[in-house]
Amino acid sequence: MSARKYAIGDRVTVRDATTLFHTRTQAFTRGRTGTIVEFRPDWVIPEDEAWGRDDAERGGRYEPFYVVRFRQVDLWPNYTGFDIDTLETEASERWLQPADPETKE
Amino acid sequence: MSQTRDHDHDAHAPIQGSDQVSEFEILEKAVRELAIEKGLFSEEDHRRFSEWAESIGPSGGSKLVAKAWTDPDFKARLLADGTEACKEVGIDWLDPTGTGPPSDYTYFYVLQNTPTVHNVIVCTLCSCYPRPVLGMSPDWYRTPNYRRRLVRWPREVLAEFGLHFGPDVEVRVHDSNQKSRFMVMPMRPEGTEGWTEEQLEAIVTRDTMIGVALPQADWTASGPPSAAKANA
Repeated sequence: MSARKYAIGDRVTVRDATTLFHTRTQAFTRGRTGTIVEFRPDWVIPEDEAWGRDDAERGGRYEPFYVVRFRQVDLWPNYTGFDIDTLETEASERWLQPADPETKE
Repeated sequence: MSQTRDHDHDAHAPIQGSDQVSEFEILEKAVRELAIEKGLFSEEDHRRFSEWAESIGPSGGSKLVAKAWTDPDFKARLLADGTEACKEVGIDWLDPTGTGPPSDYTYFYVLQNTPTVHNVIVCTLCSCYPRPVLGMSPDWYRTPNYRRRLVRWPREVLAEFGLHFGPDVEVRVHDSNQKSRFMVMPMRPEGTEGWTEEQLEAIVTRDTMIGVALPQADWTASGPPSAAKANA
C-alpha cells in the first residue's frame, strides 16, 4: 500500500510517544535504537484495531511493519549477558524515527 | 466448604483457588451464553471444541522440524514461508480450528538456530504463542515472571531451565508483540545420524521449539526422566 520509509539495515529509534489508549509498542523499546532486519506486511495498526477498526472498511489504518533488532546492551543499562545478545520485535512505521547519526553502531 | 468431614484438614495449607474472575472471563461467558441462546452453537459444541482445542499438542511443530532436518528443500520452504509449509504436515495455519482464521495470530515464522545464534520466544504483552503448531502454551510461558525476565535477563532465565551458552553464541530473544507468531527450529543433535523422521520427531519436544531447551538423542518427553535414564 504505502511506500516504505525504511530499508533493511537502517538504524531507527522507537519514538518515546504518549499512549493514552492501547498500543503494542513496549515501554522498554521506547527511545531505544535498533536496526531494521526484516519487513513485515502492511497491517492495521493495533491502536485502531483496539477500537474495532479491524480493516479498511471499518476505518483501520494499514501501515508497513518492520522487525527491529536491538542489541541488549542498548536496551538495558547494566545488561548482564554478552554484547552480542539481541532482541527482536515488530514495530509499525509510525513508532519509528531515523536514528540520530551520532548513535553508535 | 463446610467442615463436615471428620478427617484432618490442618495438615496442609488450604489450596488457594482463584475466586477472582477477570473482566475477560466475564466477557467470554456473556458472549458464549448469548451465542448459545441465539442458537449459533450448543453447550456441547462448546465443550467438544474446548476439549479438542486443549488437546492440540506440539506434535505439529515436531513434524515440521524433523521434516526440515531430513529434507533440505522442505527446510528452505519452511524458512521462506512458514504458513504455506505447515500445510505439508496437515496444518492450515490460517484456519487451524476449522472455524475460520483467528483474529490475532496470522503470520508464522520459523527461527533457525545456528552454531552462533540461539533463538527463544516470549510475549511480554500477553501470551502470544504459535498454538496451531505447538498447542496450548505451558503455564510458565504465560507468567509475568517469564515474560518480564526473559527480555531483561535471558541468559539467567535460560540457565534456570538448565541451558547455558558461552560468549560465542548470540542469545536472540523474539518478543512477539504484533501479528507474527514464532517457533524455534533447533539444530539436529549429534547421535541421531540415520534416524527416521518419526524418531527425530520424538526428540523435538515443546521446550526445544520455545527455545528454553535443546533436543537430545536420549530425551523424548514421552515418559518420566527416570525411565529415560533407565533406558540409556
